[in-house]
Amino acid sequence: MSGKLAINRLRERPDLSAELVTQFVTKYASPIIEGQRATFLFRGEADEMFVRHRVVGLPDPLPMKRLPGTDLWAATVDLPTGSRVEYQLEVRRGEHYERFNDPLNQRVAHSPMGSSSVCAGQGYHVPDWTQPDPEARSGELVERHLKSKALRRDQRYLLYTPARFNTVLRYPLLVVHDGPEYVQFAAMKTVLDNLIHRLDIAPMIVAFVPPGDRLREYANHAPHARFLARELLPELEAAYPLVEPPAGRCLMGSSFGGIASVSTAYRYPGVFGSLLIQSASLVFTDIGQDHGGGPYFDPVVKFVNKYRAKPTRFTDRMYMSCGIYEPLITPNRSMVSVFREAGITVKYEENRDGHNWDNWRDRLQAGLSWLYPGPQRYVYE
Amino acid sequence: MRTIILGPQRFTVRATSALRSLETSGPVAVINAGWEEREDDVSELDAALDHRMRGLRLYHRLTDVLRKDPDFAVAVTAFRGRQDELSGLYRIRLAHAMSGVYAVQRQIPLHPARARHSAAYRAMGDAIAGVRAIDDWYLREAQRLYQEMEVEGGVTTSEVIAWHRHELRELHNDCVAWVFPGGNIRTLMSVLRLFAISVPPEVPVIAWSAGAMAMTERIALFHDFGPEGATETELFDQGLGRVRDVLVFPHARRRLKMDDPGRLGILATRFEPADCVLLDDGVVLDVGADGLLPDVARRVGADGLVRSGEDL
Repeated sequence: MSGKLAINRLRERPDLSAELVTQFVTKYASPIIEGQRATFLFRGEADEMFVRHRVVGLPDPLPMKRLPGTDLWAATVDLPTGSRVEYQLEVRRGEHYERFNDPLNQRVAHSPMGSSSVCAGQGYHVPDWTQPDPEARSGELVERHLKSKALRRDQRYLLYTPARFNTVLRYPLLVVHDGPEYVQFAAMKTVLDNLIHRLDIAPMIVAFVPPGDRLREYANHAPHARFLARELLPELEAAYPLVEPPAGRCLMGSSFGGIASVSTAYRYPGVFGSLLIQSASLVFTDIGQDHGGGPYFDPVVKFVNKYRAKPTRFTDRMYMSCGIYEPLITPNRSMVSVFREAGITVKYEENRDGHNWDNWRDRLQAGLSWLYPGPQRYVYE
Repeated sequence: MRTIILGPQRFTVRATSALRSLETSGPVAVINAGWEEREDDVSELDAALDHRMRGLRLYHRLTDVLRKDPDFAVAVTAFRGRQDELSGLYRIRLAHAMSGVYAVQRQIPLHPARARHSAAYRAMGDAIAGVRAIDDWYLREAQRLYQEMEVEGGVTTSEVIAWHRHELRELHNDCVAWVFPGGNIRTLMSVLRLFAISVPPEVPVIAWSAGAMAMTERIALFHDFGPEGATETELFDQGLGRVRDVLVFPHARRRLKMDDPGRLGILATRFEPADCVLLDDGVVLDVGADGLLPDVARRVGADGLVRSGEDL
């Protein structure tokens, strides 16, 4: 195979024609992954074309160039091994802009905000434990309700109990922010079933709690913390055989759900023995108040700044992960040492992905198996 | 006292020939509590044992005690919490101590003639002695927890437990051999303690995987390829001690970094004078009355290489 990129070999063809472009697009689809390079393609009429993404370090929008004399547009970027990027294409026709998923790419990721195309770089594989395994016994997911005085509403949540649930045994508890989203977009029930089946994680009880007014209630909000610590925990402790606190209590969340986990555990030190936070919105300022996150981040920044000024050991163990390509990578990296210096045992992992649900899904095995390890260490069949 | 230690039986079944080699007839007591909820799924095992199996169903009995004796159930919960706390502290101490051992090991000169006489070599020996002290501390603390559990859980006064112990004695009284398959070693050791299981010395035992670990004096947990990556080998408990001066490592090829002689060498040195013996598929080790393993056992040397006595 030539060292030249496929798009450049096409560009240099003297017989470049619409038919040749059709053959090329049919053969390669989009994006073309060649070593550590990715070439995005679009075919159609446009005044300008862009790849839209949120990868820190790459220009966004990323302009695509038209191959002279054709309707084929292309843009090539560096894509290190193991990378995974979500993106869309944007077209400008006159004054009109439109964004859409890459029509030449079948790989799509979903989130509450809609869907995106996926560029999976060399070396990235969807972990097999995220896919349904017929050998794994299915846990049960039921909807429950709790009348919350703190939140002044009837709070719905989903409760997971593992396969072979047995009332004479004791189970650790995991409380998940954005719970239904973790089930829907991070395949978390499938992941739990599989990892428990593989003995990677302990059989556990999981409360998937949906947000109400998310941006307000997840941003260091006293009633939210009170609901979790003083209403939900007692309810579950009364109803289910749980491992003793704090070792058997873990709070989890991503993005704003991550800051909700940290701020809740901070408000109730010693209640939650561990935290699993992913791409947490740990935004802070070292001087002034200009954090660039908008008004919803004001209480977050105020909280993180306060914590950084006087760090405390509000939990025992914390698993943190963050995508290298997301803007939150810098605050997350910065906070690792702060938490550690406060005496919290932190396991921190970075990966070549962004602020998205597939990234958070892919880190579940590492996080859950570290916080609630399965019996694999004890099993010798 | 005869004990036959086997490698894992999933792919290479040696249990049938091992049982026949005992030249006994009559029922065979089986403790497969390590299978937990699958304890009653025994059709294949029964066939492998020439349909002579008499399952003692110790896991089933454990859950029965937990249901019927609330005081015991409460004590178990508290015990598990203390055991997990102790394990956590042990792992913290072990991780720090072992990182010191590896750091010193990297300072040892590569040339064998210089290595043995180097200060770093002596420093490593001292660092490993520190690890042994932590191992000993853990085992002492673990035994103390078991003793506390015995009192707090009313193990010797519980009518439910006494009933099961009595029934078990009746059940295994006429058994001509015992079989201990693999499974969850934590569960297996719990039920052996709870029901005060002791195999009469004159009755032969066949054991594999977790069952084989239970036959030794000290049980080590190990997994270099778990979801968390390589973790340090840690002591877990004292076994029944039918097999002496040895720690066994079932599924060694699947669970140990066999291509890392430095790491293996430290493992072997740490547990000296006991031997670290690998139990892979197909292994059959016939242990006689002295409780010592035969020469054919594959042992890890202080140099990290694996040899059997026949190689020496």
